[in-house]
Amino acid sequence: MVFDQLIGNFKLGIDYAIEQLINGINIGGIYALIAVGYTMVYGIIELINFAHGEIYMLGAYMAFTFYVMLHLPFPIAVLLSIFTCMLLGILLEFVAYRPLRNAPRLAALITAIGASLFLQNLALIIWGGIPKSFPEQTLPDFFQSPIITIHGNANISLLQYNIFFITVFLMLGLHLLITRTKIGTAMRACAQDKTTASLMGINVNRVITFTFAVGSSLGAVAGILAGLYYNIIKHTIGYVAGVKAFAAAVLGGIGNVPGAMLGGFVLGIAETFGAGYISSPYRDGIAYAVMILVIVFRPSGILGRKQTVKV
Amino acid sequence: MLKRIPRYSPFKDKEKFSAIFSENVKYFYVVLFVLAFFIPVFIPNKYVIHTFISVMLYMVLALGLNIIPGFTGLLDLGYVGFYAIGAYTAATMTYHLGTLGPPWGFLSSFWFILPIAALNGALWGILLGVPTLRLTGDYFAIVTFGFASLVELIIINEMWLTRGPMGIIMDHKPVMNLAFMYPLTKHFFAEPIRFTLVGDAPFFYILLSIVIITIIIMNRLEDSRLGRAWFAIREDEIAAECSGINIMKYKVIAFAISASFGGLAGSVFAFWFMFTSPESFKFWESILILCMVVLGGMGSIPGVILGALVLTSLTEVVRELLDPWPDLVQARFLVFGVILIVMMRFKPAGLIPLSRVKREMGSRDKSIIDAMNESFYKFKSGKG
Repeated sequence: MVFDQLIGNFKLGIDYAIEQLINGINIGGIYALIAVGYTMVYGIIELINFAHGEIYMLGAYMAFTFYVMLHLPFPIAVLLSIFTCMLLGILLEFVAYRPLRNAPRLAALITAIGASLFLQNLALIIWGGIPKSFPEQTLPDFFQSPIITIHGNANISLLQYNIFFITVFLMLGLHLLITRTKIGTAMRACAQDKTTASLMGINVNRVITFTFAVGSSLGAVAGILAGLYYNIIKHTIGYVAGVKAFAAAVLGGIGNVPGAMLGGFVLGIAETFGAGYISSPYRDGIAYAVMILVIVFRPSGILGRKQTVKV
Repeated sequence: MLKRIPRYSPFKDKEKFSAIFSENVKYFYVVLFVLAFFIPVFIPNKYVIHTFISVMLYMVLALGLNIIPGFTGLLDLGYVGFYAIGAYTAATMTYHLGTLGPPWGFLSSFWFILPIAALNGALWGILLGVPTLRLTGDYFAIVTFGFASLVELIIINEMWLTRGPMGIIMDHKPVMNLAFMYPLTKHFFAEPIRFTLVGDAPFFYILLSIVIITIIIMNRLEDSRLGRAWFAIREDEIAAECSGINIMKYKVIAFAISASFGGLAGSVFAFWFMFTSPESFKFWESILILCMVVLGGMGSIPGVILGALVLTSLTEVVRELLDPWPDLVQARFLVFGVILIVMMRFKPAGLIPLSRVKREMGSRDKSIIDAMNESFYKFKSGKG
């Protein structure tokens, strides 16, 4: 029965494949934006920030609140949401992670899980369990209508095009920030060796705060884009997206920013193709399976370097 | 890099308390279980017994999980996966094999399924453990999380085996005849108490004996060669390997034992609750159990028992308090998030810390360390 389904799926043809590819690129772009936050934080303080997925979820909720509940114009709501999430990321680092900077890593990891649990349930209390969605007219009509049509079936609307565009634009900006600016150099120095960096006059705490701010704001952008794309905002979206984004970060090589971007796109495409051609109920399972296989067989990821254990 | 600065602790008496406690922990257990034994007799309230059963179920789960983060120092976020495997072993066996007729009737009996579920848990523990246990802490945590999520997905989607989201309803409870207790109690009560299958009472005693056996096993494990090897791995993996400890072997054994306790508790849960559905095995259940281990003190057996007692009761209390707002009942996990953060910040060693851990994480006052050291060895060598 499964084989019949498989063969049937392959007969769907090239249009279907292109549509899946486009969906994959969009979802992958969202994963890539979240994954960058994971990878930057991991690169510097070697902590899996489990609460990062929750920041993504709160980004979507904040934009929803400012736009629908407080009736602010959409661009301002987006900016306010990004700003709030940035502050939230900084607060999180300050309250939960900074006191444990020198504690065992298990303690920091458990704190991160606690923070994730706290934020997720806080959202449940504030916004309730009923899924929210942005109203139809959030974006003008021309965002929704197809702008590119391939073979008459595969459509790309401007919104989808924009997710890809915004993702690439932000990634480029981030790349320039990391490679060309002073604070970016400081970040790279801290990722290399925090002690030596602090001896060279870098304020490590400030760099870490900055990293959390950048990661959280990118996460918030991802949340808003996903809210518009899926049109569903719920308190549980953060943890699934967070784990998949972490899988993307691992896939690309954790601690490696270009790797996280690549990993996000690869994972998104793998997921949509898996869902389209193999089995759609196991959509999330494909991401988990990819993550487990990569961690087991190539923990350094696609672009990562193999690290040796120092005694 | 920077050394952690020891904090001044104004609560010296507390440390004395925990020292006294850890010396007399055996008597504490005995008193506790004698008291527990008479709970269904003196408080024959259905709700109270129900709560105590879930407390003991979580005690078994927390003690089982304790082996991984507490004894070997790895973080297992997928423990609920083994719990689910145990429960579904019991549920699918009774559902698919329960109708086979007289000669095969034992296949769906509680006492046959209990060890099978434990073995099935151990099997999956080994299958997951062998490829993944060479990973470092964070990666291992994430892989176990992925495993639990895959288990949940398979349970939801493989309808032919597990009936998916509909769940499986059990048709029988295990039989336990406690009529022999009657002569003991007839002197105390005017009315004779029927011990034979009154509500949840048989389950209470089944779980009580499982908890006692679990605690005995855990205590023996802790002091065995195996336990010493685990502690060595937890303290310093590389040093342990250099001392000739086969790290992989001991880690896989730890994982298998931990998973088998998860499977055992799962099968008991399936038989007790009589209804097994994927809803009971969400990821947050894992975190709840982890929370118990952390709250009590990772690696400390009395601590973990206390943690399970406190948090399961807290769950019930919060559920009662939130009763007027059904939307918020699900949000009770907020409390557990706060507990995890606050514990890690202010008392990372837990409520009843292991003396060893306490020495590392707590006060650096040398006299207390020496006292703890002494009492620890006294207690361990049985002279105290």
